[in-house]
Amino acid sequence: MINKVKDILQGKIIKWEEKSSKRHYIEIDKKDLRSAAELLFRKLELRFCIATGLDNVKNMEVLYHFSDDKTGVVYSLRVFTDRDKGKIPSIADIIKGATWIEREMRELLGIEFTGAADTSRLLLDPTWPEGVYPLRKDYEYGRKEPRGEDSCRRPNIKIEELTKNGKKTKIIPIGPYHPLQEEPEFFELMVQGEKVIDLNINLGYNHRGIEKIAEGKHWDQVTFLVERICGICSCSHPYAYVNAVEDLLGLEIPLRAKYVRTVIAELERIHSHLLWLGLAGHFLGYNTVWMWAWKYRETVLDLCEQISGNRNHYAMMRIGGVRKDIFNSEIDGMKEKAASLVPILDLFKGAVIDDPVIHARTKNIGVLSKEEAINYCVTGPTARPSGLDQDIRKIDILNGAYQLIEWDVIVCQNGDIFDKTVCRVLEMYESVKIITQCLDKLKGLKEGNIWEEVREIPPGEGIGRYEAPRGEVWHYVRSDGGNTPVRHKIRAPSYMNVLSNELAAVGGDVSDAAITLAAVDPCYCCTERMQAVENGNVKYNWEELLRLSEEKTKRLRGELK
Amino acid sequence: MKTIFYFLVFPGFLFALIVGMVASYIERKVTARVQWRVGPPILQPWYDLLKLFTKESVVPENAHLLTFLATPVLFMVSATLVAMYAGMAFFFPDAAFQGDLIVIVYLLTIPPICLILAGAASANPLASLGASREIKLVLSYELVFWMTIAVIWVKTGGELSLVNIMNKPPVMYSYSGGIASVLALFVMQAKLGRVPFDIAEAETEIMAGAYIEYSGPLLGFFKMGQYILLATLPFFISSIFWGGVNVFKYVALLVIVILVENTNPRLKVKQCLKLFWFILFPLSLVALILAVVGL
Amino acid sequence: MNKLKILSKSIWVFHFASAACNNCDIEILDVLTPRFDVERFGVKLVGSIKHADAMLVSGMMNRKGAEFLKDLYDQAPKPLAVIAFGSCASSMGMFKVSYNRVIPVDEIIPVTAYIPGCPPRPEAIIDGIVKVVKKLRGEI
Repeated sequence: MINKVKDILQGKIIKWEEKSSKRHYIEIDKKDLRSAAELLFRKLELRFCIATGLDNVKNMEVLYHFSDDKTGVVYSLRVFTDRDKGKIPSIADIIKGATWIEREMRELLGIEFTGAADTSRLLLDPTWPEGVYPLRKDYEYGRKEPRGEDSCRRPNIKIEELTKNGKKTKIIPIGPYHPLQEEPEFFELMVQGEKVIDLNINLGYNHRGIEKIAEGKHWDQVTFLVERICGICSCSHPYAYVNAVEDLLGLEIPLRAKYVRTVIAELERIHSHLLWLGLAGHFLGYNTVWMWAWKYRETVLDLCEQISGNRNHYAMMRIGGVRKDIFNSEIDGMKEKAASLVPILDLFKGAVIDDPVIHARTKNIGVLSKEEAINYCVTGPTARPSGLDQDIRKIDILNGAYQLIEWDVIVCQNGDIFDKTVCRVLEMYESVKIITQCLDKLKGLKEGNIWEEVREIPPGEGIGRYEAPRGEVWHYVRSDGGNTPVRHKIRAPSYMNVLSNELAAVGGDVSDAAITLAAVDPCYCCTERMQAVENGNVKYNWEELLRLSEEKTKRLRGELK
Repeated sequence: MKTIFYFLVFPGFLFALIVGMVASYIERKVTARVQWRVGPPILQPWYDLLKLFTKESVVPENAHLLTFLATPVLFMVSATLVAMYAGMAFFFPDAAFQGDLIVIVYLLTIPPICLILAGAASANPLASLGASREIKLVLSYELVFWMTIAVIWVKTGGELSLVNIMNKPPVMYSYSGGIASVLALFVMQAKLGRVPFDIAEAETEIMAGAYIEYSGPLLGFFKMGQYILLATLPFFISSIFWGGVNVFKYVALLVIVILVENTNPRLKVKQCLKLFWFILFPLSLVALILAVVGL
Repeated sequence: MNKLKILSKSIWVFHFASAACNNCDIEILDVLTPRFDVERFGVKLVGSIKHADAMLVSGMMNRKGAEFLKDLYDQAPKPLAVIAFGSCASSMGMFKVSYNRVIPVDEIIPVTAYIPGCPPRPEAIIDGIVKVVKKLRGEI
């Protein structure tokens, strides 16, 4: 694959930097960016992960990361541009999944993207002053902007009506504070009767600016900060972050630490999937499933508490290893508890697969086809039900025990909500398998020796990934040899997955929209640590979406005739 | 004077409200037990109601004031009337009148209409969606409901008086009556707005639907109406199909409602229409034909 | 008849999350589930602010959320208890240096009780509820 990339990019490469066998940085000229991105994405079918924008003070730098999901190698295209009024060609029309990140970089770093369909304010609220870019180095740490009155559109007050295709169309707000979501999020469904004809995703209610905060914290403190990106993935983010720093250092951690990391991360996966299963039942009006799933989730939380001392924020990861050990004397009890989960999973599997009403509510609803899944660059349990065989745990986690034990990746084919549910249920079986094997192996190892001493972080850059319950978590860190990271880029799985809603929900019913929006297991806390989408009416800029939705409406109308 | 007593105290407002609150307590408690929880204390429905009446009512700016204020009261009053007529036939057979079956069936359509009006008057997109869903829900179950009543009418030889129906042998011990009574259970579930037919107030989809803008005493009136309906509907269904009411039959019906509620996810509007029109309606036709034939 | 005494027996809760990390929100749902089951005390989660007796605010206030908080508070029927839930809502926690912050919750609307913790354990939440109940009854 490396040679293929070299071949295909021939003549464009300015500098090829091989950091390690799995991390390649390719410097190219910005005028070649579009063709290079298209070649990598379309020809070689690499998955676009994310782009990282950096302020180097003397110039601006943007990294476009592409991942080869078969081998776990990451190719990063590096381009430079001027600091003031720097321009880079947009690739959002080639790769749909790059839409948000380009808007984000434009807003936070002041990099213009020429040819982007959507150049509106994307991040923060409309009263944020023009020309102030919080991620630039000259924006002081801890600074706060004055705030104008009436900075937000107030939804949910008046019925807005407009006409579309000669039919009356109503806007149904879902959120920002809606029982469907435990987090604030604002979807506007444009409906005709009960049919959703358009969807407007409006983020920004959860934006906390964590990437900027990370630049003011010590390397060790950042572990705790990224833990608080999201309460449910509170192990995945630190895991990816320490992976990134260890990638920078080229460090391998002790064997015992690898097993401990794997155990706690998989426990988190079970608890997250059970949580999702319960909430999905709740969304379908099936409260019994909610209560049952959460009852058994407590068992998992007990295990977490036994290992880490806390139910949710575990604080287990540290650069070079883990913070706490698992006692060998407690392992038998833990295994028993883990094994007790299997009959419960059988129960849920039966309940989901046999229930006719659940079939009616979830089969062929919110379908995300394989092509669309590739185009939107979705990850994790949103991609795997659509037939994409990708799991970061299999390919790219150096400091985990996933290569040392036996387990399978669950892939389904239909991409509807039923498959997304089945995929998650089956994944929990795999997690139990992984945990049991890890605990067995731990028993054979001596206690202690759970971290490598790390005294200082040399200059350099590193990429860390982890397969969170929702998909791939991505962390990029750069060090200048100092106490704190110079740049810390975080990309959560929902960042890629939520955007795919605009396809999956359009054309369905309002009652389907709820479960469809929930089916990607959205996690806005993750998504928005750095991100927000504009507040205004997005319709003008989403011509592509409009076209798609109109096509879909037409098609459906054709079917009705 | 006597009518006022019937309406306000027994078997009307007060009695039905108390029975309804007990039924609501049973519902919440059994639900909680099914979900491995403990559940609320016995006076919880009473506390809820009392609290609502101590709170202030907020009227949305753009709402149609008169409709917004009148519908909750109307909702409760019509529910009370149903309770009164159904109760009178059972407790005071002498005071009942010919044709009260028809009156009750008519009165039972008023609460949903109130809900529709309330949703439409609230000036809230979610409430209007709730109202439109309620319309579809009424359209789907009402036809089946009338068919089951027709089965009763045929089986009892043209009786329209609840008292006389109760005095005849129970309708359900026949093929047609059996089918009709099962269908009536579906209708009851839908009329009570319980899962799987709670589409009109689906909390996770459209929050509380038509109730969304209501608060304080106005919501309290709705709540009272719901309690009364919860008390009355199983009572009514039991008296026309199961040949009269007793505590055992009443609780059995209540438990059916609760168990169905707890073991099913919510249907979609379209699926609900399909279920009632294309599956249950043909079944009710079959029942009616069987009844005419005399089975 | 003491109005607040009645209120304390049937608290309907509306949950407002502004830029929280989700853990508070999950733990709020968690206390409704079998192990903790706050329905025992008449606590119920409602979807509409119009039905609420208490508002749980979690997360730090960011620029987009603050406006809504004020709005929702104004819309709610009074009396309404406001509970600042978790470290972020109580003191802004580690986000006090974020560029997207505004002012703490208690400077926007009056707060009845604080439940600290990151996230508060379910036991702490129940303790918080008990304190709110006591405060409403005028016992503390």
